[in-house]
Amino acid sequence: MGDKNTALVQGTLDMLILKTVALESMHAHGIGLRIEQISHGVFQVNPGSLFPALKRLERAGWVDSEWRATENGRRAKYYVLTASGRKQLKSETRDWKTQSVAIARILEA
Amino acid sequence: MNIYRHLTAGVKELVRRNKTESDLTEELNAYVQNSADAKVQAGVTPEEALRAARLELGGVETVKHQVRAVGWEFALEVFVQDVRYGVRMLLKAPLFTAVALTTIAIGIGANTAMFSLVDAILLRPLPYPDPQRLLVAGTNQLGESQMSPMGTADFLAWRDRQHSFEHVAVLDGAGGSFALSGMGAPERIQGVGVSADFFSIFGSAPLKGRGFLPGEDLPGAPGVVVISEQFWRDHLDSDPNVLNRTLTLDGKQHTIVGVTPAGFRFPPREPVAVWAVRRLNPPTARPPFGLHALGRLKPGVSMSQAQAELEEIVAQVNAQYPSSTPLAGVMMPMKQWMVSEVSTALLVLLGAIALLLLIAVVNVANLLLARATVRRREVAVRMALGASRKRVVRQLLTESTVLALLGGVIGLLLAYVAVRAFLAFGPGQMPRLNEVGINSGVLLFTFVVCVGSGILFGLAPALETSRPALSDPLKDTNRSSSSASAHRTHRALLVFQVALALLLMIGSGLLIRSFVRLSSVSPGVQTDHVITAAISLSNKYSEPQIGQFWKQFLEKLQAVPRVKAVGITMSLPPNLLEITNPFTVEGQGYDPRRKLQLAEEMSVSPDYFRALGIPLIKGRFFSPSDRVEGEKDPKIVIINETMAKRYFGAKDPIGGRIQTGDPDPSSPWETIVGVVGDVKYSGLDSAPEPAIYVPYNENGWVGWAWQMYLVVRSSGSAQQIVPSIRAELASLDATLPLAQVRTMDELLDESLVQQRFRTWLISGFAGLALLLSAIGIYALISYSVGQRTREIGVRVALGAQRGDVLKMVLREGLNLLLFGLLLGWIGGLAATRVMRSLLYSTSTTDAVSFVVTSLTLLAVTLLACYIPARRATKVDPMVALRYE
Repeated sequence: MGDKNTALVQGTLDMLILKTVALESMHAHGIGLRIEQISHGVFQVNPGSLFPALKRLERAGWVDSEWRATENGRRAKYYVLTASGRKQLKSETRDWKTQSVAIARILEA
Repeated sequence: MNIYRHLTAGVKELVRRNKTESDLTEELNAYVQNSADAKVQAGVTPEEALRAARLELGGVETVKHQVRAVGWEFALEVFVQDVRYGVRMLLKAPLFTAVALTTIAIGIGANTAMFSLVDAILLRPLPYPDPQRLLVAGTNQLGESQMSPMGTADFLAWRDRQHSFEHVAVLDGAGGSFALSGMGAPERIQGVGVSADFFSIFGSAPLKGRGFLPGEDLPGAPGVVVISEQFWRDHLDSDPNVLNRTLTLDGKQHTIVGVTPAGFRFPPREPVAVWAVRRLNPPTARPPFGLHALGRLKPGVSMSQAQAELEEIVAQVNAQYPSSTPLAGVMMPMKQWMVSEVSTALLVLLGAIALLLLIAVVNVANLLLARATVRRREVAVRMALGASRKRVVRQLLTESTVLALLGGVIGLLLAYVAVRAFLAFGPGQMPRLNEVGINSGVLLFTFVVCVGSGILFGLAPALETSRPALSDPLKDTNRSSSSASAHRTHRALLVFQVALALLLMIGSGLLIRSFVRLSSVSPGVQTDHVITAAISLSNKYSEPQIGQFWKQFLEKLQAVPRVKAVGITMSLPPNLLEITNPFTVEGQGYDPRRKLQLAEEMSVSPDYFRALGIPLIKGRFFSPSDRVEGEKDPKIVIINETMAKRYFGAKDPIGGRIQTGDPDPSSPWETIVGVVGDVKYSGLDSAPEPAIYVPYNENGWVGWAWQMYLVVRSSGSAQQIVPSIRAELASLDATLPLAQVRTMDELLDESLVQQRFRTWLISGFAGLALLLSAIGIYALISYSVGQRTREIGVRVALGAQRGDVLKMVLREGLNLLLFGLLLGWIGGLAATRVMRSLLYSTSTTDAVSFVVTSLTLLAVTLLACYIPARRATKVDPMVALRYE
C-alpha cells in the first residue's frame, strides 16, 4: 500500500475506531477501510497500529467482540461498541471539539 | 481505566494463553482474507490480491508481538522467561553457582540476622500504645549532659506540680531482688520497686487483675505485688485463681493483684518476676538519687514543653534545698533511654556486616565478570538476532537478581539459626531482646538487600558482556581484546574489595587492642580463690539483730576448714557499685557552685580487705574492736589511694577528717584510719574514683547491712567451700537464700561479656573479609595468568627466567593490593571515629592496629597471588604457543 499515511495525533486512532464501530459492528479490516474511506484516504490505518488499538479498547471494556460470518461467507471477529465505550466516545468527542476549535482559533488569529 | 478490570483481564489472558493466541492468529488470517476479498472486488486477480493483503499486514509475528505488548501481563511474561532462562544458565554452571550462592547466602544471612536485632532494639517503636508519648525524666548537675536518676524530693515535687503528663511514676534505679520463701527452698527472684502509677503509664492491659491503685504507695498501705506471666507459669502453675494469693518476699506477706501480659518487660534488661510497690516517704534530704522517673505525656504536649516545666520545678526544689548542689531537670524519650547504651555497638556491627556484604558482592561480581568472557558469544548471538542491548542487560540483571534471591533464601535460613543462637548464647544483658525475631519488616529488608545486591553485582558484568564489540565476538577465539575492559573493571573491583576488607580488619584490630587492654586491667584485688555471694536478710531483722547476725555468721565461716579470710561488703568489684555519696574534706571548705565531689562509699567488715587481697598502703584496716557495744562510736573510715592523692596530696591523710552526705556543717566528722589500694567498682573501664569504706556495724550503717555481698578467700575450690557456706547460713536462718554465687574470676568475666562478644563478632567478620579478599585476588591473578599463558610462553621462549615471570605476576597483584590498602587507610581514618565510645584507652587511629592489620592483609593476599604466580612460572613455552 502506498505510504501516504498521515500520522495520527497520539490517541486519536482509538477515538476514530470507537466512532467507526459506533455506527455498526465491524471487523478489523472493515474498520481500517472505513476510516480510510471517510477520511478520503487521508488516514490509512496500518495493521501494526490497528490490532494493538483494538486490543487496548477491548481491554478497557469500550468495545466487545464476537466471531461472525461476513457478507462473503468468511468468519471474522466483529467489534461492537459497549455502553461504557459510548460514554467514552462522547467525552472524547467533546474534548476533541473543544480542543480543535481552540486550535483553529489560535491558528486563525 | 478501572485497575481491577485491567488486572483481571491480564490474569484471564495469562490463564487462557492458547485461546488468545489462536484467536489472534485467526483474526489476522481473517484480516488478510477480507482485505484480499476487497481487492478482488476492485478487480485484482485473487493471487495478486492475497499477496498484496499479506504485504499490507507486514510480519504476522511482529503484529502479534505488538498486540501482546499491550497488556501488563506481557512484561510479566518476559520477566518469567528471563527468570527461567536465568535459572537454566545457573544450572549449567553448577560450580560457579555453588560458590556464588554460598558467598551471597553468608553475606545476606549475616545482614538479616544483624538487622533483625537492630530492627527490634533500635527501630521498632516500643510495644505500648502511643509509645512516642513515653518519656523518662531525671536530674543532673548543671552543665552535665548525662541523665542521672532523680531523688525522692525532686520526684514528689514534679509529680504534684506538673501538668504535662497523664501519669508519672518511678522505677527504683537500684533494681534488685527479693528473697522468696514459703514456696519450697528459699530463692532469690528478680524484682523491682515501682510507684502506684507505673502500669498506667504503659497503657497495656494486664493479663489478669490490675496494676497498682493510687494510694497503694502511701506509707502504711498493705503490701501488694504484680507478677510476670512467666513467674505465674513457672512458680504458680498458671493458677487461674492467682489473684489475692500471697507471696512471702523478704519475709513479708504481699498480695498478688495482677499478672502482666507475656511480652511485658520493664526495666528492659532483665526479666523481672515481681513488681512491688516502692513507697515514697517524704524526704528529709535531697539525696539519695536513685529513682528513674517515667511519664506518659498528655496528647498534644511536646517533650520540650514538658522539659521546660520539669526544669522549672527542679529549680524550685533547688531553692528548697539551698545547701545541696543545684540540679537541672532533663528528659528523653523512653526508647532512647532504653537503648542508648547498645545503639553504637549495634550500629557499628551493622555497618561492619554491611561492609562484609559489599565484599561478598564484589566477589560475586568478579565471578560473573570472569564468566562474561564465556557468555559474550551467547549474548552476541542474541544481539545478532535482534535483541537490544537494553533487553540483554535486563536479562542479565534478572539472572543476577535470581542468583541473589536464591542466595537470600539460604541466607534467611542462616539468619534464623544465627538469631536463635544469639538469643541462646549471646550476651543476654541487652534491652528488648524478647522482641527480636524475623518478621515481615526484616523479610522486606532482606528482599530489598537481595535485589539491591543482585543489581549491584550484576551491573558491571552485564554492561561488560553486552558491550558492543569492535571485533566480532562471534568469530572470537579464546584470546580476545574485548576482555581488556572486563579485566579493568575486575581490577577496580578488587582494589575496592581490598580497601573494604582492610577497613573491617582495622575496626576489629582496634576492638581487639581495646579488649586486650581492658582484660588486663587489674580490678585492684587478688581474684584467685575468691567466692562471692549475695545475702539479704528479711525485714523481720531489726538493726541490732542485723549486726548480731553478721557477727555470728562471719565467726562461723571463719572457723570453716580451708577458709582463709571472710568479709562482707555493700559493693563488689568489678562493677557492682551500690552507692556514691558526696563528701567534704576538713579545711577545704565547700562551694555550692562547684561540682559535687562524689566518692564510692560502702560499708565493709574488718576482714573484707584481706579476703579480697586489697593492699594496705598506710595506716590500718578496721578491727573488730573499733566498735564497742553500747558506746557512742568515734566514726572512722578508710579511703583509697586516689582519694588520698587527690584531696590530701603530700599531706598525710591518716588522722584527717571528712564529712559525708550532703554538705552540712553539723554532720559528724569521720576520721581516716587507713589508705588502701584502688579497686574498680564501676567497671574495669572506669576511671579511678575516690572511695570511702566504713565499718558495716557503725551507727547509721547497720541498717544498710540487711543486704550484703559475702567474700570468702579459701585454699579450696568453690565446690568444696560453697556447701559449707550454705550449711552455716541455714544453721542461722533456714529461710535465707545464698544468691548469685560466683567466683571473683567469673564476675570479671561476666563484666566483659558485651565487649568480648562484639570483639569476637567483628573479628569473625574481619576474618571472613580477609578470606573473601584472598579468594578474590587469587581468582583474579589465576584468571590473568590464564589469559596471559601465551604471552608468558613467548617471554620464556625468549629467555625470561622463572624469577622474572614470578616477579611480573606478583607485581600485578602487589600494585592492586597497595592501592587497595591505601584506600583502606583513608577509609579507616575517616570511619573508625564512630567507634570511639566502644574503645578502652585505644585511639581510633591506633597505629599498631592499622599497621598490623595492613601487614596481615598484605601477607595473606600476596600468598593468594603466589599460588597462581608459581603456576605461571611452570608454563611450558611449547605448550603455550600451541595453546591456540
